[in-house]
Amino acid sequence: MLIENIRSIRRIKKGEIMRRRIQKLTKKKTKDLNSKALDQKQKKSIISSLEESIKYINETLGNSDDFIVRKIRIGKEEQINIGIFYIDGLVDTQKINDFVIEPLMFDFQDKNIHSKHDLLTVIKDSTISVGDIEDVTDYGSLLSSLASGQIIILVDGFTKGFTIGLTNENYRGVTEPSQETVVRGPKEGFTETLRTNTALIRRKINSPNLRVETRKIGEVTQTQVSIMYIRGIVNEKVLEEVRTRLSKINIDGLLESNYIEELIQDKTFSPFPTMYNTERPDVVSACLLEGRVAILVNGTPFVLLVPSLFIQFFQAAEDHYQRWDFSTFIRFLRIACFFITLLAPSLFIAITTYHQEMIPTQLLISLAAQREGVPFPAFIEALLMEITFEILREGGIRMPKAVGQAISIVGTLVIGTAAVEAGFISAAMVIIVAITAIASFVIPAHNMSISIRLIRFLFMGLAASFGLFGITAAFIGLILHLCSIRSFGIPYMSPFGPYNVQDQKDSLFRLPLWRLSTRPRLINQQNINREQSPSPKPPSKK
Amino acid sequence: MTKKTIIFMIISILFLFITGCWNRRELNELAISVAEGIDKEDENYKISSQIVIPGQIESKTAGPTSSAPVELYTAIEDTVFEGMREITTKSPRKLYHSHLRVLVIGEALAREGISDVLDFVSRDHEFRTDFYIVIAKDTSAENILSILTSIEKIPANNMISSLETSEETWAPTMAVTLDELIKMLVTEGKNPVLAGITIHGDPSIGGTTQNLEKTASSTYLKYSDMAVFKKDKLVGWLNRDQSKGYNFIMDNINNTITDVSCPNEGKFNFEIIHSKTKVEAKVEKNTPKVDIIIQSEGNVGEVKCNIDLSKQKTIEELEKRIEENITNTIRETIKAVQEDFGVDIFGFGDAIHRSDTKSWNKLKEDWNDTHFTDLDMQVQADIKIRRLGKIGNSILPEIKE
Repeated sequence: MLIENIRSIRRIKKGEIMRRRIQKLTKKKTKDLNSKALDQKQKKSIISSLEESIKYINETLGNSDDFIVRKIRIGKEEQINIGIFYIDGLVDTQKINDFVIEPLMFDFQDKNIHSKHDLLTVIKDSTISVGDIEDVTDYGSLLSSLASGQIIILVDGFTKGFTIGLTNENYRGVTEPSQETVVRGPKEGFTETLRTNTALIRRKINSPNLRVETRKIGEVTQTQVSIMYIRGIVNEKVLEEVRTRLSKINIDGLLESNYIEELIQDKTFSPFPTMYNTERPDVVSACLLEGRVAILVNGTPFVLLVPSLFIQFFQAAEDHYQRWDFSTFIRFLRIACFFITLLAPSLFIAITTYHQEMIPTQLLISLAAQREGVPFPAFIEALLMEITFEILREGGIRMPKAVGQAISIVGTLVIGTAAVEAGFISAAMVIIVAITAIASFVIPAHNMSISIRLIRFLFMGLAASFGLFGITAAFIGLILHLCSIRSFGIPYMSPFGPYNVQDQKDSLFRLPLWRLSTRPRLINQQNINREQSPSPKPPSKK
Repeated sequence: MTKKTIIFMIISILFLFITGCWNRRELNELAISVAEGIDKEDENYKISSQIVIPGQIESKTAGPTSSAPVELYTAIEDTVFEGMREITTKSPRKLYHSHLRVLVIGEALAREGISDVLDFVSRDHEFRTDFYIVIAKDTSAENILSILTSIEKIPANNMISSLETSEETWAPTMAVTLDELIKMLVTEGKNPVLAGITIHGDPSIGGTTQNLEKTASSTYLKYSDMAVFKKDKLVGWLNRDQSKGYNFIMDNINNTITDVSCPNEGKFNFEIIHSKTKVEAKVEKNTPKVDIIIQSEGNVGEVKCNIDLSKQKTIEELEKRIEENITNTIRETIKAVQEDFGVDIFGFGDAIHRSDTKSWNKLKEDWNDTHFTDLDMQVQADIKIRRLGKIGNSILPEIKE
């Protein structure tokens, strides 16, 4: 009861905030006439006549086909008219029958009603056997509850109704995430339902300090957005920053978490992502334990995490589920792949067109032999191949799964064999492009790997114009840019940008778990100690 | 974005295009010159350049190639640089010198002096300093470069591989790179020595693929003797034993074979696997003195006589004989150089310069002519036999008829 009350209070408060904001905007005359009318309707309180109400709601909803009205008569003499409203498909009809209509029709007859005023209390408190039930007095909140999949009950002759939460649970179940798969580790991934997602995190962190703050964003879609954090561990400054940035969003619709990412991220004109996204509850939990803030959006399995650092995009969940030495090796491999993806084609262009003296003679002759008869300069050759690869990649994603294999066959045949045999492209270039492509898939974060793939073209252009000087200049520029980025106030390159010896333990290296005794210093300053486990020792001989 | 950023970005993008990729050269626009030769023809230089035909080298078809894997271009001009550029009138591509492996200098030019040539190759930015310089003995550099070889398709590679391996395992050759040569030339009290290369057989056959069709090529290249220079002029040749002695003094022995006569009759071979030479020079009463101390270790390589290797005494005796043999080789080498050329190629002057600069300043005026030729020297060798090989005593006496 208490929790419910708190929740309803919160909801009312939020509704008020929304309304006030809308009012503000109407005053500013930024709203068009249509929404003004909608606004007036929202303030209107419920008409006591049920028939009038039905007519009014039907009018407002434009006689939508999926809007269902069920009228029943209850009481000993069937004297009380009741209307049950819901949107078909959003609610569980079986549950409506079992927990709303059945009690009203049969159990209600046995109740004693002393006054007319008592009627609503009896219906709410002792008849309907559903947990989530709230009062509603105006059409504004009535309509929005209806639209979000709740059941509305109106009693003839009253200006007050109830909203009942009996949403249809028939969503995609919890399945293995498609993006971040692991060999060892939890196989569950987030779903499209916000409530399932918060529950998945709560199941991992059974602490009363885990907080969920929900708000609705999107004028039209009214999408639920939740902020999750652990009180006492979270960096309050970051949390406050997330709240203010979220409250500044004013958009009609919010369909995916990227909408939020693009609206609140620190730098728009940067190829690098400053917000991490994941499908895995264990990754979110680990980040929350490090003092980060998670932003969950209803309707998408991708959860945003802030603040996020550059090195975070080269770490995978599995790093902590397998031996530390191997994890460290894999992390170095990922960094190597970062450089291969970024530099391999441009270095190849620069060295073969400007710095041939750097190639060992035997290799040079072999490369020169391959290039005999190739009609394009190395840069054009590389560009053609890289673009072909991007086309194949994009084609592979968009294609129906059944035709997906065709892509790989065509890809291997066209690039691997035909282009080389026809003499358009040298074999060495195919090798370079292939290694670049494969290296780009090693980077665990997809959004990081696409940004590297993008700036790779800039490097190629500079390599073609200036050789190694161009690459060096671009690399210096890249490092300067990376060091200038902040993610919610935290330097992006930390713990390297501002160097921090302590935080090296779990950034490039992954030290044994008993050495990871403190949380990352730059993310959070409070509650810094996370464990005091001693290092494992053999049993003493005594 | 502010107006400034936009302007900055436009300018940076324009930079990409205004460079015009000024010194960009695609790999198939290069004429990769792996070996170059310089001869003197009357008053002019004759430049020859061995250019790789990459398609021929990398052809996947097995068996002998139907056409030559390299092409030789020649030009005759006043200066080396002009000659190099004149070649473009014959070659479709501009010469690319960075992958030069070996520079061959004709004997005739070497006798007149190589300093003019060295200026160009050390000045031009495309030349590296790590290619070898060899002297064509009794023939022209052009002839040397025209010989085709079979194991290494590129003759230049054949030349350097052979030079490097023989230096490594067979003492009488010495690979000298450009920077080493220049160092030898500019050091006071030292004169350069370069490896010599000759042609065996008919050069006109050696230049055709016909040469590659037989198991024993009728014409082939061979390193023999070493060219002695007085400053930049060739003055004569060291024979095989002298070359070996020279390398002993220069501490340039990695692995070599010495054959020594046995105490009774017959011979045995000693393989040096590790050798260290120290040259100590000092000036006593205005007479320079040089001590050469050699410390070597090695294995018994081949025994062709009846000796009992299981006895410590025999080993000691053998060690003594090897010591004698080596000290003799060295003495004879120095003597021959003193008498025939009168040029300090061993760097004894340099050793004195380093140990006693004051005396050197007095001596250096006529070092080569008087002091070097009458140089007082001591040669010591300390040889240790470490291993006898897979068998102990020779089985020879038992199986011989």
